[in-house]
Amino acid sequence: MKRILTSLWSLTVASTKMYFRNKAAVFFTMFIPLAFIGIFGLLSQSGNSKLTLDITNQSKTPLSRGVVDALKKIDAFKIKEVAQSEASDQLNKGKIDLQIVIPPEFGQTGADGRPRPSDLKTFYNKAKPQNGQTANLILGQVVSGLNAGISHTPQIIALKSQGVQTNNLGVIDFLLPGILAMSIMQLGIFSVAFAFVSLKTTGALRRIQATPTHPVNFVIAQAITRLIIGVIQVLLLTGLGIWFLDFHLLGNFFEFMFVALLGVIIFLAFGFTVAGWAKDENSAAPIANLFTFPMLFLSGVFFPRDGFPGWLKTITDFFPLTYVADALRAIANEGAHLTQIMPEILGMVVWGIVMFVVAVRVFRWE
Amino acid sequence: MLYCEQLLTRDKLKSTMAQALLEVNDLRKTYAGGFEAVKGVSFSVKKGEVFGILGPNGAGKTTTLEMIEGMRPITSGTAILDGIDVQKDTYAVKERIGIQLQSSSFFQNLNLLELLKLFNDLYLESADPMTLLKEVGLEEKAKAQVKELSGGQKQRFSIATTLVNNPVAIFLDEPTTGLDPQARRNLWDLVQQIQKKGTTVIITTHYMEEAQILCDRVAIMDEGKIIALDTPDQLIQALLKRGFKPQTKVAPATLEDVFIDLTGKDLRD
Repeated sequence: MKRILTSLWSLTVASTKMYFRNKAAVFFTMFIPLAFIGIFGLLSQSGNSKLTLDITNQSKTPLSRGVVDALKKIDAFKIKEVAQSEASDQLNKGKIDLQIVIPPEFGQTGADGRPRPSDLKTFYNKAKPQNGQTANLILGQVVSGLNAGISHTPQIIALKSQGVQTNNLGVIDFLLPGILAMSIMQLGIFSVAFAFVSLKTTGALRRIQATPTHPVNFVIAQAITRLIIGVIQVLLLTGLGIWFLDFHLLGNFFEFMFVALLGVIIFLAFGFTVAGWAKDENSAAPIANLFTFPMLFLSGVFFPRDGFPGWLKTITDFFPLTYVADALRAIANEGAHLTQIMPEILGMVVWGIVMFVVAVRVFRWE
Repeated sequence: MLYCEQLLTRDKLKSTMAQALLEVNDLRKTYAGGFEAVKGVSFSVKKGEVFGILGPNGAGKTTTLEMIEGMRPITSGTAILDGIDVQKDTYAVKERIGIQLQSSSFFQNLNLLELLKLFNDLYLESADPMTLLKEVGLEEKAKAQVKELSGGQKQRFSIATTLVNNPVAIFLDEPTTGLDPQARRNLWDLVQQIQKKGTTVIITTHYMEEAQILCDRVAIMDEGKIIALDTPDQLIQALLKRGFKPQTKVAPATLEDVFIDLTGKDLRD
């Protein structure tokens, strides 16, 4: 036991030192995500940062008017009430971010005197999907506020303020959790795969095997180092986001951190699998890219997956990076608790178990 | 204190010199593809001697060494080191020996002191890293990284890492391959210095001159078998008895003597 703890501690200290003295690794895991967020943050802040919405209110019910009024009071929105054809035209020309259509039956009362289920239709600008996504998100909060109100009290005015007080979510709120999820993936897969393959090919790993310490201690030490770096990444990105870029973390910080670290663990398993498969550094990069590239573009990190064809959306629903990004976003944007994102957490745990089994099977010491 | 301990080990050494530290019996290695790398090797190494394993490339030297060290599974046969069966208690054997691998490499971005401290912890030892570096003449490079060392310095550092656990035996696999004559001589001095302290040394090499100078006894391997085992002098005598005549006249000096005479013995690290 003493041997395990002593060697584990010593190997962790050594791995951490090795990591922070490797300028390329620090650049890729710390600087690149920061630069990404900085650039996107600045881009989204420049110019008129308000989201433009055109509303067509075809219903003349108090509820529909309530919705329009509630939306008009949201700072982040610039709203015009226009005819549907004009709004569609504006959207097609890329002049607005979101078009909302309130259908004639919206807010009508049924025969029993209770409000009937009503739909709001939204169309967003595919050229600016983040804006559309953000607008949809805020809209969702307003609607859920109204719904909550309807079930409690018939007075719509009372719940209107609930909707209005929702947070001014911006593009950065969509992007930051996505970029954090991406950094976690790169940290887990690339940094572990490259470090291990190089130690394997140079024989440094074999030198550890020549001591009475089992080399699995070294694997654990490497994982601990990556978790430490993961914590630093979360602190750095959310800190920078909150202080400089108007990022909102509505949920609990520790739940946010928990999901991020769970993500690190899953992608570490991917990383060890790559390290096991790859014979040398040259083959490690293509194998790692085989995992990361599809996820980078299809997991909704930089833009929402709403525009995907149905089949693609269904497939990408099950990507590990989708789970991590969606869970982080739910906590940050909606203030969700772990109990509310159980499907995502379950997805992550299943991926984690599957990949660790694969990693153990393909891993070779030499 | 340290000096007293050294005297003690030397006394112990005298009384146990004849005892066998390592007994290898009919050791075999067959790889998955059916290739027989080692075909039944038996020998014993006495406490305190320098034992050489010679042979051309692919003779099975490294495989034999790695099976004894517990680095490679044994197909059949036994290796008993210091009374411990290598197959039964690999970790107990690794605690008692020092291993220098043929292509030793170390973690990047750590300096020599940090690496020795790490090895200390891996052996649960507390040897002073600076003393170890002094022993191999690298105290000035304490803060340097392995990649900044010359070939000879790398090998000396590699030997320093085998000494952290005060081993009963160290295994050196071709430690002088690729070194210049000065660095090679310097490493011979180091090996002799280690032997003087009572540590058994098991070494493989391609250089016959090196084996002749360093080794008390040598085993010559070819195609997975030991084909001769004796002291270097006895092996030479036996060859001469078989009627061997050197093809060329033996010059009283060699070209290497000329080289060392002209360039000096000083290390060029």
